[in-house]
Amino acid sequence: MKILVIEDDKTVGEYVRRGLDEAGYHVELVGDGDEGLRRASGRGANYDIMVLDLRLPKLSGIDVLRMLRDRGIGLPVLVLTAQDSVDFKVQALRMGADDYVTKPFAFEELLARVEALGRRPKAIAPPTLKVAGLVLDTGSREVTRDGKQIELTPKEYAVLEYLMRHHGRVMSRTLITEYAWDYHFDPGTNIVDVVITRLRKKIDHAREPKLIHTVRGVGYVVRA
Amino acid sequence: MESIRARLTLWYATALILGLAVFAAVLYFARRSATYQDLDRRIRSEADLTAGILAESYTARGRLVEPDTAGRPVLINEVAAVLEVVPDFLVVMGRDGRLMFASPDARSLTFSEFEQLSALVNDPARRAAAASGAPGRYRITPNGPTLHYVVRSVPEAGGQIGAILAGADTRSAELQIEQLVTTIVIAFVVGVIAAVLVGRWIAGRALEPVDRMITEVREITDGRSLHRRLAVPMEKDELGRLALTLNQMWTRLERSFVALRRFTADASHELKTPLTVVRAGVERAITRPDVPQETLAALEETLQEVNRMTELLESLLTLARADEGRADLHREPVDLREIIEEAGETGELLAEHAGVGIEIRLPPDPLVVAVDRSRMRQLALNLIENAVKYTPRGGQVSVELGSSDGRVTFSVADTGIGIAPGDLPHVFDRFWRADSARTRTSERAGTGLGLAICKWIAEAHGGTIEVQSRPGRGTTFTVGIPRGET
Repeated sequence: MKILVIEDDKTVGEYVRRGLDEAGYHVELVGDGDEGLRRASGRGANYDIMVLDLRLPKLSGIDVLRMLRDRGIGLPVLVLTAQDSVDFKVQALRMGADDYVTKPFAFEELLARVEALGRRPKAIAPPTLKVAGLVLDTGSREVTRDGKQIELTPKEYAVLEYLMRHHGRVMSRTLITEYAWDYHFDPGTNIVDVVITRLRKKIDHAREPKLIHTVRGVGYVVRA
Repeated sequence: MESIRARLTLWYATALILGLAVFAAVLYFARRSATYQDLDRRIRSEADLTAGILAESYTARGRLVEPDTAGRPVLINEVAAVLEVVPDFLVVMGRDGRLMFASPDARSLTFSEFEQLSALVNDPARRAAAASGAPGRYRITPNGPTLHYVVRSVPEAGGQIGAILAGADTRSAELQIEQLVTTIVIAFVVGVIAAVLVGRWIAGRALEPVDRMITEVREITDGRSLHRRLAVPMEKDELGRLALTLNQMWTRLERSFVALRRFTADASHELKTPLTVVRAGVERAITRPDVPQETLAALEETLQEVNRMTELLESLLTLARADEGRADLHREPVDLREIIEEAGETGELLAEHAGVGIEIRLPPDPLVVAVDRSRMRQLALNLIENAVKYTPRGGQVSVELGSSDGRVTFSVADTGIGIAPGDLPHVFDRFWRADSARTRTSERAGTGLGLAICKWIAEAHGGTIEVQSRPGRGTTFTVGIPRGET
């Protein structure tokens, strides 16, 4: 699947490019609106999704969007914007954007929206996650350990899913919080710790091997 | 006086009353003096006429006196008959002080009254004064008439006539003056009433454009209506200049609002882009495998601070936009129970960590209201988080959602440390923080904008937020939002 990223800030652009690349997308990065529009509407253009920053040199993101739609190109567009006012989002959507992400964004969020726009099944995230005897079915939202069903609350499920999706890697508390609460939660609260304590009781209590591990000062990791 | 109109009327009426009073006084005294001058002229001419008749008769006949039937000397009949037609009081005395003639008015006096009149004529001092012809005024007995009189001698009428007195009752003059006073009083009252009414009308008319201006100004309430201007009347009078001045002020205000709007937009971009860059770098580094643990901890801390800064920036921008009066809401019908339930789960987690009990009461039926989902979630989470934060271990937090009278109410009550009465009016102020002693030291203080944002969210939905608190007993925040059509 091919994605055109139009972003003038090199660091952000590179970050998006690499992240999407790692997620298995084929990414092209351009630094201004003119070039972006030319590539998207050129002969033989075969992009599946466009990621568009709204503030660009030469041709603004809004102009790119309008000219793209004027030329009858229905390419799905995900807008990146620093403006989080509702008016602005409404304007972008009215101009033909399909979705938006507000800066600064967590990559996880960007990825989720790109996946939704691509309308492809989460191929990179298999419907069933397995770590040792722990199984999480992302379709039915059922969790079992060694064949025994475990009841989880929505937040417990969200935290476990995130950790299992990235199993073997240390996930920071902040990233976990952002994923499970799509709200910039006061990072001072130890809410993730509480959820982890509960998860441990349900998953690791009286069972071996322990699957949820603490990394001091950072966060947690699910590892066999 | 609560209005300029009333004050103007009062001043106007007072000025008119003063003017009228001066006018009335001048009129009264002038009229009075003129009336007495008239009276004076009359008695003088009567006295002169009598003296003339006496002198002429004396010259023609050589005598004026004859004895009457009783042998007393009186004026001869022909002369007496002529004098009989003189009106008012006329008395002729002989040299020896005996009465020689009295006019019908004088004869109608009672005896004692007449005695007084005679004494008046015979008084040597008055006779002396008679030479100068000065008139006098005399009240005969307490109840009798007041006479305005003149005494004069008639040397050219032979030696027998001593003096004559001509006098007039002042009653008619006083009556004229009394009528004048009555007229003045009536005119005065009517004039004052008319002055108040006319004054009110004039003041009202003069101030009408001011009232209109007040209405227009009141309609310019927030950032969105700042482009409006007052209609400037053609005449460049005070009001025209006031309208111009106000309009100029609005132009400046509007300019600064536009500048603020541009600033918020620029700040969004200029501050958020570097934050995005920092975040992107940290996030990439932190998710890379094989990073040493100390580095990971440092990165996690950085990420937390980036988030804190993002949060603060977003709160500031939200409030800046709120100041402009732009309700930045994306409203859609939502079952509020879902939002509170979700916030409630988070609340339970926080409460568990803090050793605080929590109870969440939701109505059995859906409560669908058009709200901004993410803002309502923020409101609920903020209040619940606060309640848990300020409640000591072992305390209790109660969250309740309900509806009554077309309003949805959401309340969060705790048994925490409460808020001092002096602090209560300030809890919704920006950057307001409870005493540092009130927060558990293990937690960092928030941005100080949480409750200010809550207030904005409630008000942007057309609702209210209220707080009740007793120190040591607990605090209750209550949000009320109109249900609207849905």
